[in-house]
Amino acid sequence: MRLIGSIFVRPSRLGRLAIQFGLAFAIAMIAIGMIGFSLADHWVSSRIDQSLTYHTAKYVSKVEEDPAEDLHLRAAILEWQHRKVLSERTYLLFDRDKRRVAGRLDVTPPPAGFSDVRFTAGGRHYEVGRALATRLRSGGLFVVVQHSEAAEGLHALLPIVVLAISLVALLLGVSATLLFARLTATRLAETQNTAAAIAAGDLSRRIPTDRLDGMFAVQADSLNQMLDHMAELVRAQQLFSSNLAHDLRTPLTRLRGLLEQASRDDQSSFASLLDRAERECSSIISIFDALLRLAEIETGQHPSTMAPVPLRPLMEDIADTMEPVITDRGGTFGVRRLDDVVITGDPDLINQLLINLLDNVATHTPPGTSVTLGLERAHGSAMITICDDGPGLAIGEYARVTQPFERGSAVSSRKGSGLGLAIASAIARFHRGSLELIDAAPGLEVRIRIPANDDGDTLETPGLAHGS
Amino acid sequence: MHLLIVEDDRVIADHIVSGLNLIGHSTTLARTGAEAIRAWAGQPHHAVVLDRMLPDIDGIAVIDHLRSNGDPVPVLMLSALGSTKNRIEGLQAGADDYLAKPFSLDELAARLHAITRRGASRGSKAGLEVGGLQLDASSHRAAFLGKTVTLNRKQYSLLAHLMSNADRVVTKAMLLEAVWSYSFSTATNIVESNMSRLRTALQDIGCDPIETQRGAGYILRSDRCA
Repeated sequence: MRLIGSIFVRPSRLGRLAIQFGLAFAIAMIAIGMIGFSLADHWVSSRIDQSLTYHTAKYVSKVEEDPAEDLHLRAAILEWQHRKVLSERTYLLFDRDKRRVAGRLDVTPPPAGFSDVRFTAGGRHYEVGRALATRLRSGGLFVVVQHSEAAEGLHALLPIVVLAISLVALLLGVSATLLFARLTATRLAETQNTAAAIAAGDLSRRIPTDRLDGMFAVQADSLNQMLDHMAELVRAQQLFSSNLAHDLRTPLTRLRGLLEQASRDDQSSFASLLDRAERECSSIISIFDALLRLAEIETGQHPSTMAPVPLRPLMEDIADTMEPVITDRGGTFGVRRLDDVVITGDPDLINQLLINLLDNVATHTPPGTSVTLGLERAHGSAMITICDDGPGLAIGEYARVTQPFERGSAVSSRKGSGLGLAIASAIARFHRGSLELIDAAPGLEVRIRIPANDDGDTLETPGLAHGS
Repeated sequence: MHLLIVEDDRVIADHIVSGLNLIGHSTTLARTGAEAIRAWAGQPHHAVVLDRMLPDIDGIAVIDHLRSNGDPVPVLMLSALGSTKNRIEGLQAGADDYLAKPFSLDELAARLHAITRRGASRGSKAGLEVGGLQLDASSHRAAFLGKTVTLNRKQYSLLAHLMSNADRVVTKAMLLEAVWSYSFSTATNIVESNMSRLRTALQDIGCDPIETQRGAGYILRSDRCA
């Protein structure tokens, strides 16, 4: 009932639409009718003219070049009159003094060529006909007249036909439009109700598709998909905010504890308390730095200098940098194989990608964990692998840990910003690449694929060798 | 040094002024861009610490004013806008360095020293020399009293940066920027671990002039290279 009600809430809008469509339909039908009629009229007229020409030729050609053509024609007309009593065609012959010498029609001699004539055929009523007059060498006039009843009938019909067509078209147009509009409104009402509910805050509502068909069902499906995606984004955003709040709560609580302790304790413990407070501040700041960086990359705000980046020297540099860090924790840092691959990228971001992943190994695995770095060219992509022999991830954590503030369950402390892997993942996506976590049994392998420059490799490598 | 501090936040301004006074600098404080320009006209300063967001005009407009008068005074820009893009904007506008809030006073002091003595680098393209310590650019070799040690690229760059800033504090953030060109902060002790390798290598040739300044950074003492 609510559906029907909502349709009649705005009848004026629907009615106006129906009348507009009906009128447009009627005008189109009138135009088509008039074109059709004039075509038919033209066709009939041309047929009459052809017939007149034909019959004139039939008579005149026989007597051409004959000095006694008048006499012959007169005889032919009389002979025809004798033969045909009733016909829509009549033959007349006038002498040079415009006197009728043969033929039964009472008509004034028309000018030479085609013309419309009025005549009386014995009765009082004037009738209309089409005439073809041919001037003879003798000065006489041979006339064939055709009584065009069909053409006259067509002309008489025109106004009635046009009026009837327009009325029927208007009626059909208006009712078809009304029906169509009503059917459309019924189907759209479901979408409107859902949209209103979502606008009011219920993001779980979806458009019911069981009563819809055709394009309405397709449209409702795609809208529902969009809503699913939006709900997922909103959910991720809410999770992000609550995780952020939680991650900030920990260092803030510790900081407050330290300040309270400092206010109670004597001056001797100040130095160490302040030092610890400083560390808590640094950890809060690092969370904000990482957040800012993630937002920068994900929203494309990073002032990127995309250029051909030869990955091998970049990774050798990373190896030089991180080897002491891993060795200081008792592990070994190995470099497997480094192919010459050039990608299009931002060197600063690629550095951060690799440093973040190696930072992860150093902060989230037990001391003594070893790392191996590799770079291969495979299927038109650069494939970077970072493999460790630590405890790895539990099944089911692989998808979760690339999300902001998510950590593996084996990670006991809440060290780091919790955003390292999310940033690495965002950097890989920024380079139209992917980041994949694989169980290295034991340990974890991170595999990054970034499209390689096809032409860049051969061009860049000699330059590099020269440069280094 | 006599420094002009332009900062509208009272707590931060007091923190900067008292901290810099403590390490022997004198300061003039301005709270708005207009005050800064007046203070600048009043007396000469060795450097300017300039907040990016001021109540009246943008900090960049203050730099424009100074530079349009042909003044090459070093400017260190402070800002709560800490993204890489903001940093590049600040440097392009003519700031000599850019420090995002929150910052430590040690970091501010070290960077002020660095920009006021910029260009006073000792050494040539072929290498650097501080006392008896020599660093060769082509072979990445450090030499002291006839003994030599070959450094890897990172150790070489670290030592080169410290030698060209001898007797000045260099912070970890400054080293990450100068030696590694990283615009991001790292979770691990990249600078410490690499520095410890460098110092081990230098000890092998009998000269370790690098000193750790607790909480602040590192300093290469030229008198220890004698």
